[in-house]
Amino acid sequence: MVAIVSEQPFTVANIPLSSWSFAIRVWLAMILALLVSFWLQLEAPASAAVTVGILAEPTRGQALDKAGFRLLATVVSVIASIAITGLFSQTRDLILAAFAVWIGICVFAANLFDGYRAYAAVLSGYTVAIIATQQIDTPQHVFESGMARGAAIAVGILSMAVVNTLMFAPDRYPRLVAQLAVIRRRVRQYASATSHDELGSSTIFLTLLREIVALRPEIASVTLESSSGSVKSVAARSAAVGLVAELQVARILKSGPVDVDRVACDQARAAPERADDSDLTAQRLPELVAGQNCVRDVASEALAWAGRDLLRRDEEVREDLLALRSAQWPLRAWRAPLYRSYRTAAESGVRASLWLAIASIFYVWAGWPATSVSLSLVALIIGLGATTPNPRGFTVSTLIGAPIAALLTGLLEFIILNGADAFPLLALAMAPFTVGAALLMKSQNPLWSSLGRVNLLFIPVILAPSNPQTYNPQSFLFTSFFLVAAAALLLAAQTLIPPVSDDARRMRLLAEAHGELQGPAHQNGEASQEATFRDASRIGQFLAAGGAQDSRALAEMLSCFDQSTMIRLCDAKLMPFTDGPLAPLADEARTAIVNRDTSSLRTIAYRLSEMARQKASIEADVAACLALTSKILDRGSGIALSQEAT
Amino acid sequence: MAHTFGELVVGGVLFAPFVTYLLAALILIVVLRPLLHVVGFAKMFSHASVAELSLYVTILSLLVLLF
Repeated sequence: MVAIVSEQPFTVANIPLSSWSFAIRVWLAMILALLVSFWLQLEAPASAAVTVGILAEPTRGQALDKAGFRLLATVVSVIASIAITGLFSQTRDLILAAFAVWIGICVFAANLFDGYRAYAAVLSGYTVAIIATQQIDTPQHVFESGMARGAAIAVGILSMAVVNTLMFAPDRYPRLVAQLAVIRRRVRQYASATSHDELGSSTIFLTLLREIVALRPEIASVTLESSSGSVKSVAARSAAVGLVAELQVARILKSGPVDVDRVACDQARAAPERADDSDLTAQRLPELVAGQNCVRDVASEALAWAGRDLLRRDEEVREDLLALRSAQWPLRAWRAPLYRSYRTAAESGVRASLWLAIASIFYVWAGWPATSVSLSLVALIIGLGATTPNPRGFTVSTLIGAPIAALLTGLLEFIILNGADAFPLLALAMAPFTVGAALLMKSQNPLWSSLGRVNLLFIPVILAPSNPQTYNPQSFLFTSFFLVAAAALLLAAQTLIPPVSDDARRMRLLAEAHGELQGPAHQNGEASQEATFRDASRIGQFLAAGGAQDSRALAEMLSCFDQSTMIRLCDAKLMPFTDGPLAPLADEARTAIVNRDTSSLRTIAYRLSEMARQKASIEADVAACLALTSKILDRGSGIALSQEAT
Repeated sequence: MAHTFGELVVGGVLFAPFVTYLLAALILIVVLRPLLHVVGFAKMFSHASVAELSLYVTILSLLVLLF
């Protein structure tokens, strides 16, 4: 009997110790940031506390990575603020239009990136709103305001970095190694499973693909964890790219065996039948039987080649994982390119501009005092929402979270602190709110988690700790009201002009996948593994847009993925023949691929296979690759036909 | 004799001399990273992050002391 004991994490009050340590780190860093800001007499100490709230990431590398991008984006936005204020000084409407366009550009950029790069793009957008919009009536203070914010952010980053280092915040690296090793084992299991359940097998394939692609931004954050971080990051990236390539070969191998044999046998069987029909003489029968054997040979050789390719790729991944474990440079340093849908990004950018424009028009029309604060909050919610898969959902959770944050801050400011001016009291009073919000953030439930993040951000925003604290109920009420009004107004604007829908996103991705399939095989000098990873990231985006529910489009997407991978592989395999004696045959094969002429491809494969002197020769490999490609292209056109029929 | 510090002026804005030292130490650490990787610095310590922070503080202090 085998007993399986799963390791239970140590918990306090049913919450894992790691969550407690994370929450206490966030609180300590926030208090340290406030203490240093007060001591340095910075003008915007609240920004330092908000920075800590934003940098509340579970691992040290992630926090540092985000910090670097936050600092960079602040510099960009201060320059943009000065440029916009300088260009449109004294012209309120033009300056608001320029903000709207700038937010649109930033949201466009955010849609082209992932992870903290996307965050940096939106931060460049809403920081302009915070610095320049709030100074719309006093443009001469834009530079000072930018410097004050920059200094506070630097203090926040340093506080978080020091607290994370001294309190041994976990590194991402050990978990990344374990995750990649587990994924490799699962890919091997997937490849060796003999089940013919196509649906289950496809689900496993998609789950694995999604998990590998999701690691991409996290691999980048390993760079800052230690002096060997950049080497580890390169090795991990190579392993991830190799895993996608291995997974793809496994998929071809799994879907291939029966079908390829069937095609081969069908052709072989058809040959004697044709002979019967045409009353061919008995002398030609031995020739036909030989042809039949040849067809069988190509089909079985194609499978054998795919099997060999799988083993080779698995070995490459093993070497990369070994390099990752021992912090050595991997033998091959692959890039992991991300798929970028420019049209979807442009649509999202235009919509973000329109939302801000609607909000601006409303505030100008309302004529309320100090609405610039609320407008900058609209920009903040637009920006942060653009980095989530569902921008309107984020606005809704802000609309729910903001009143809670306002209520909690009111409790903290006017009941608990209520006029206290000693720093230790502030530190103690903030503890339950900060620790509580950080604990909520670590919850598995997405709603609680997003509420935790909203509270961690907005409690310091509304409280606006300063030295000395003013305890002004009017400013508290104004800020709370403007925050809720900003979320409500944005939700109204998003109802009027909805964000790009998941359906539209999926259709666009599918259309782009089809379009790319018709185009040239080689792009930007990418290696075939890198291009496969880029295609895999497109499938990841497709799944994130609810692609799993749309089984028909998903089948088409996967078919495009298979076809483009095989076409690239054939292109690479045919390259050595360009100048040799087989150049005409290689050209013929390329033309057949471009024309999707699968019967010619099979014929070329048989001819090449006959020419191959030994089984493992280059010619035999190319023949196998062409035979498999013809099969995949046939299946792809079958899917396309069935789509048209329905 | 009192230690004099060079002033950092960017676009007419005066920065504290300490900022220059902070940046210089950061640049030095970034330049040293490949060397630290080659000598296996991260493998020498149980808590490499604390060791690297200490190295940064050491370099920063040396810069303040020497320049």
